[in-house]
Amino acid sequence: MDARFDLEMPESCEEALTLLAQDGAVPLAGGTDLIVDLRARRREPRLLVSLDRVAELRGIAAKNGRIEIGGRTTVTDLVRSPAIATAAPSLVQAGMAFAGQMVRNAATVAGNIASGSPAADLVPPLLSLDADVTLISTRGERTMPLAAFFIDYRKNAGQSDELIRTISWQRPPERAVNAFYKLARRKGDAITVTGVAVTVAIEGGRCTRARIALGAVAPTILRAQQAEAMLEGKALTPALIEAAAHEAAGQSRPIDDIRASAEYRRHMVKVLTRRLVSQAAERLG
Amino acid sequence: MTDVAETTATLPNVVYHQIGKPLVRTDAPGKATGKTPYAGDYVMPGMVQAKVLRSPQASARLVRLDVERARALPGVVCVLTARELPDRLAPTDIPGQTGQARLKTDQQILVRERVRYHGEPLALIAAESTDIAEHAMSLIDYELAPLPGVFDPAEAMQPGAPLVQGEDNVVARHVIRKGDIAGGFAAADLVIERTYRTQFIEHAFLEPEVGLAWVDENGVVNIRVSTQVIEHFRFIADAIGVAHNKVRIMGALVGGGFGGKEDITVEVYLALLAKHTGRPVRLEFSREDSFMGHGKRHPFALTYKTGIKRDGTITALDARILSDAGAYVYLSPYVLLYAAVAAPGPYRIDNLNVEAASVATNNMYTSAFRGFGAAQACIAYEQQMDEIADALKLDRLELRRRNYLKTGDPIATGATVPSAIWTERCADLAWQALGERKEPDGPLRYGRGIAAYQQSYGRLTFLHDTSEAWVGVEVDGTVIVRSGVTDIGAGQASALAQIAIEILGVTMDNVVVYNSDSAVTPLAGTTTATRALYMTGNAVRLAAEAVRGRLLARAAQAFQTSAEHIELANNRVSVLDNSARAMPFAELVKMCAADGIQRQELSIFRAPFSDKLDPETGQGQAHPDYTYGAHAIEVAVDTETGEVSIVQSIACHDVGQCINPAAVEGQIEGGAAQGQGYALSEEMIYRDGKLMTPSFSEYLIPTAMDVPKVKSIILESRSGLGPFGAKGIGEPSLTPVAPAIANAVVDAIGVRIYDLPITPEKVVRALQALDGGSETKSGDGGTVNR
Repeated sequence: MDARFDLEMPESCEEALTLLAQDGAVPLAGGTDLIVDLRARRREPRLLVSLDRVAELRGIAAKNGRIEIGGRTTVTDLVRSPAIATAAPSLVQAGMAFAGQMVRNAATVAGNIASGSPAADLVPPLLSLDADVTLISTRGERTMPLAAFFIDYRKNAGQSDELIRTISWQRPPERAVNAFYKLARRKGDAITVTGVAVTVAIEGGRCTRARIALGAVAPTILRAQQAEAMLEGKALTPALIEAAAHEAAGQSRPIDDIRASAEYRRHMVKVLTRRLVSQAAERLG
Repeated sequence: MTDVAETTATLPNVVYHQIGKPLVRTDAPGKATGKTPYAGDYVMPGMVQAKVLRSPQASARLVRLDVERARALPGVVCVLTARELPDRLAPTDIPGQTGQARLKTDQQILVRERVRYHGEPLALIAAESTDIAEHAMSLIDYELAPLPGVFDPAEAMQPGAPLVQGEDNVVARHVIRKGDIAGGFAAADLVIERTYRTQFIEHAFLEPEVGLAWVDENGVVNIRVSTQVIEHFRFIADAIGVAHNKVRIMGALVGGGFGGKEDITVEVYLALLAKHTGRPVRLEFSREDSFMGHGKRHPFALTYKTGIKRDGTITALDARILSDAGAYVYLSPYVLLYAAVAAPGPYRIDNLNVEAASVATNNMYTSAFRGFGAAQACIAYEQQMDEIADALKLDRLELRRRNYLKTGDPIATGATVPSAIWTERCADLAWQALGERKEPDGPLRYGRGIAAYQQSYGRLTFLHDTSEAWVGVEVDGTVIVRSGVTDIGAGQASALAQIAIEILGVTMDNVVVYNSDSAVTPLAGTTTATRALYMTGNAVRLAAEAVRGRLLARAAQAFQTSAEHIELANNRVSVLDNSARAMPFAELVKMCAADGIQRQELSIFRAPFSDKLDPETGQGQAHPDYTYGAHAIEVAVDTETGEVSIVQSIACHDVGQCINPAAVEGQIEGGAAQGQGYALSEEMIYRDGKLMTPSFSEYLIPTAMDVPKVKSIILESRSGLGPFGAKGIGEPSLTPVAPAIANAVVDAIGVRIYDLPITPEKVVRALQALDGGSETKSGDGGTVNR
């Protein structure tokens, strides 16, 4: 690998942020994306700031019904966490279908979000949970809805000196179902063809919350908000679910690539939305 | 998981002490502990690292190639282009042992003027480090002027199509004509015609191509390389312009071959760079280099027109076969011949017409791959059998039973098979092992498929194949086997050890195998064509039997009895029925040494030799013998998403005789996984010749999450031509898997996808077409006539 860069291994977040304020500095977390890019010379950073020793960025906390995970938390940390298993089943499903075991051990939540890939598997679940993202730099800290973080294909609201410090969300209500389905060309180590995450809450026979997040069907991962609006406040009849699934498909903007055609992906948005919402309605029925 | 079923052996029962047991392979401890060096682990003082610069275009004229800036980079030792290699060509033909005439298929080593495929090498670089070599690559300045290319073999056959090279894009044709084809169709109650298509497939071995070369004090070019074929030393010598005894190939344990290391890969580049630099040179392909650097499995289009009587008897078959040879010939003519010979499958079809052509395009060149054309034929004939069964409303296994070749029947070429044909038994056992059918579950539909096959083992008999091995006994009673055979991970060397110790009556801890050195170990031929056990196993058997004969004679003298009353087993020599009269094996060997009795033997085994098949009729002998068996599959298809999961994968093969059943299972399980990828997920995609799947994130081999436990049912007819009646299982284990899966998918969803791989998207489209009632089959479809 003919790549030249300096490597710093700070031990505190503060130190890391100071280093990241330099020109050409790039954070290195799990490296499962960055190292591949370096090898292919898609990126040529001057300085890599390893976050390996920054313990404060890693961990999962639950306080007052709010879940907060550090950006440096790995996918394996997620799937092994009892707190996540109850607060975000979709995230565990996504984690279990995420790449292969070795990559899961290294890859981080912040890295998956920051990569900006439309196929990032952790993002639809987090969008379906209304997660917020907190960015930090030497200039201070700011929090925004994760949905606002994604701007365009591989383009996000983070600045080059900012780190994703935490991702947090309010635990869904008791009578809610949160689920994710990854459709890919094989069962392990595959790039997602279409990923759908939903959160559905039902109270008194009516849907009180509907979140539908779509992966790999647009330049960014997106929420199917019109479809969500169709469901909220209504009884989830098969006909309504079908109509909402159809609407979700209409909101997707997929492309043709070697994995699948746009037409198939759009159809899968409908199939998977219908399937996940129906299963939720059945469980909460 | 193995069931060794009770079998009726065709030879009298013999008690073996070593053969047929799952002994720990000689290569296992080193691999398990990480001590085994592979070709890429070797280093030498003063070694330089090499890189290959490849064309980013598939069809172009090289207008300018300027390497001066690269040469000037500090640390660059050598940059070679076609200008430095006047008139040198590299052969691409099958390597022979006996000096048979070669096809005229030599290839430019580096692009001189015309680029014919995406990835064709433009220049070679050697530098003090890989980093410097990579940097130097980026400094090479070149200009390519695009030329019209041809990327579809059917288009390439049309008049006026761009020529890839020479006067004609057709690189090979084979015909097989037998019986009365018109009469056969006239006698049919039903004629079914379908076209089946297969895709480009990558070998995806674990270890990409790698080697280390140096010129020694005798002027010999030594190459330590990952290869299936050390006999390439002759071709390499021709390519670099030295005598055949001035190139020495040393293999190493190979991290997978599957036919992808059957052709020359890095050897010629290494030899040229070692000669030009005078220093040891190491060249390691990255995965991306590997994907571009060796030939792929041929895509085929196979149109089968079958005439059938209402009772299921096949009256005639007309098969038209077209394969994409890519930009250079390599082994395309032979792969095509295998497909033609295999066209009717394990069925007796007396009225047969096969017309096969292989056509050059500006796609990646195609060459050997496990199954070698016969696998593509199986994908057609076994899907066709299910289509026929459906049309006749006849049970799929019953239709097959009514048409199987039986022991002693002639195959497509008119030759009879010398061994037992147990297809029916294999298919029935595999099918029964699937158990009870599963009910639909939500969107999931379960389906089952079967595929039987005929796959040769041993090379084409007109190649006059031979193999040599040396077996010797040391004075302390230990055994040495020497043979050139390359071990590509299936336990080829270990099998030789097991054969030698069975015959000499010692145990596995007392044998060492030296293999894979073209200058030192007796030449054994290639580890290809499912021939290593058959050919070299027999050579070891002959050598060991010769040594055994002398040992027995001396033992008979010592015990004052006759040789047939002596048993050699478990490191002891004893008189049969009188265990009191015995001695350690080592003692007998010492006696022989003291008397000057020869304790070693070099043997040659010759396969049956034949002439080429009749060019007008394709009749004659093609192969020494064939393996038969079947694979049964159960799938679960998600009818909404199109995802296909393999629920059960069950193989039943007649392997003749297991030398090591654990190694046989290994082959079967590997074949099942590779065949699953062939059916469902793997495809090298070329668009206008450009590779669109350059890495493992686009080229999808099945993972551990995808492959179920494979069940192996192993039958032993002891009728094969290999040692102890063994047949070959390397290629056969793959051949029926993909069509069995294709048939299972149809069983689940009621519609066939005629072109592999069966992706979720194709499944959904097929189901939509079925729902819509329209006749939009993804293949050419076909018509059922009366």
